Amino acid sequence: MTVMHHPGDELLLSYALGASSEAVSLLVATHLSFCEICRNSVHLMEVAGGAMMSDVEPVVMTARSLQSVLARLDDKGPDVARTAKAFGDVPTTLRAYVGNEFSKARWVAVAPGLAHLPLLAYGGTKARLIRAKPGAAVSTHSHRGEEWTLVLTGSYHDETGFYRPGDMQSTTPEIYHRPVANDGPVCINLAVTDAPLIFKDALPSLLGKLFGF
Amino acid sequence: MERHLQHAQRINDLVGAVGRNGDKAAFKELFDHFAPRVKGYLMRLGASAAVAEDLAQDVMLALWRKAFQFDPAKASASTWVFTIARNLRIDAIRKERRPEFDADDPTLAPSSERSSDENLDWAKAEERLREALVMLPREQAQVIELSFLADKPHSAIAAELGLPLGTVKSRIRLAMAQLRGALGVRS
Repeated sequence: MTVMHHPGDELLLSYALGASSEAVSLLVATHLSFCEICRNSVHLMEVAGGAMMSDVEPVVMTARSLQSVLARLDDKGPDVARTAKAFGDVPTTLRAYVGNEFSKARWVAVAPGLAHLPLLAYGGTKARLIRAKPGAAVSTHSHRGEEWTLVLTGSYHDETGFYRPGDMQSTTPEIYHRPVANDGPVCINLAVTDAPLIFKDALPSLLGKLFGF
Repeated sequence: MERHLQHAQRINDLVGAVGRNGDKAAFKELFDHFAPRVKGYLMRLGASAAVAEDLAQDVMLALWRKAFQFDPAKASASTWVFTIARNLRIDAIRKERRPEFDADDPTLAPSSERSSDENLDWAKAEERLREALVMLPREQAQVIELSFLADKPHSAIAAELGLPLGTVKSRIRLAMAQLRGALGVRS
């Protein structure tokens, strides 16, 4: 299945250069596991990075530098061998946060049919998983900053379109939307915000405060 | 161009020799080639000479240890060393982790198979990319250079150039489209 909604070159470039936050890196790295087109784009950016690194003015290393590195070559370093990955339906980028299987993760119920799993929060940036059973909806809301939603399983739709696994929706403060999970497999999304959401209704706003939506 | 390509090929072969045989003579030659470039690059990004020197040494050590993973069909040695330098730099300056795409992910949507004549020669690709970078309109080249070599978020680049963020983003997109075109990469 072809991914239709992509992160865009600015996010890919920040990721390729190592400039993006942990939450945004998690988002982009996970999107890449679904999307060959963006993998190729990131690779192109890395090729450009390698070319620019090769072309900057070289700065001579200190006199003892090579000797000191040669002396360390036989030290036992961290193990870099590739190991076979354990079974599980969670993309490996997320396993350090979620575990190997979605069904065994420590979901927190937030509303009927709706659960979430906070992954990380630094400053204003947060990453969490949202799990919605078919028909479940997140109340109409906007965002103070930018929010990105990456579909991992199932699918959802809102006023702007239809989103399937690998698709990444970007919403800005002007957009109020009400995402609804479609029929079929349970919909699990990775959601990254750089500021708290703003809800329209009083009750979800309270929920928002309690659960960090 | 031809000389450039031969040199790039030689660098690839040296990394191969380190990976297969732990060839120390090859490593010394790679050190002479890469370490001063990595150091210069890190200093361009704002590192002090002492920090850049230490990190460049760590990059060379990582090259020695990971050389067996190097695959010239996937990337040239300079691209590969760039990614090592990028990752070690992040580890050194940030508390946060940088989750990384994992080509061995069992849940991965696989890449389409390339027939062997479609396989890119990465050294040639890099040369074409250099030519395309030189051909970029000045305003696009400026945002690309600031993105790669000034370690600034796009919002800071916009502020420095006195431009709306949207303009910086669209220049990045236009420049990337040019670079993709030069390499025949689908977008």
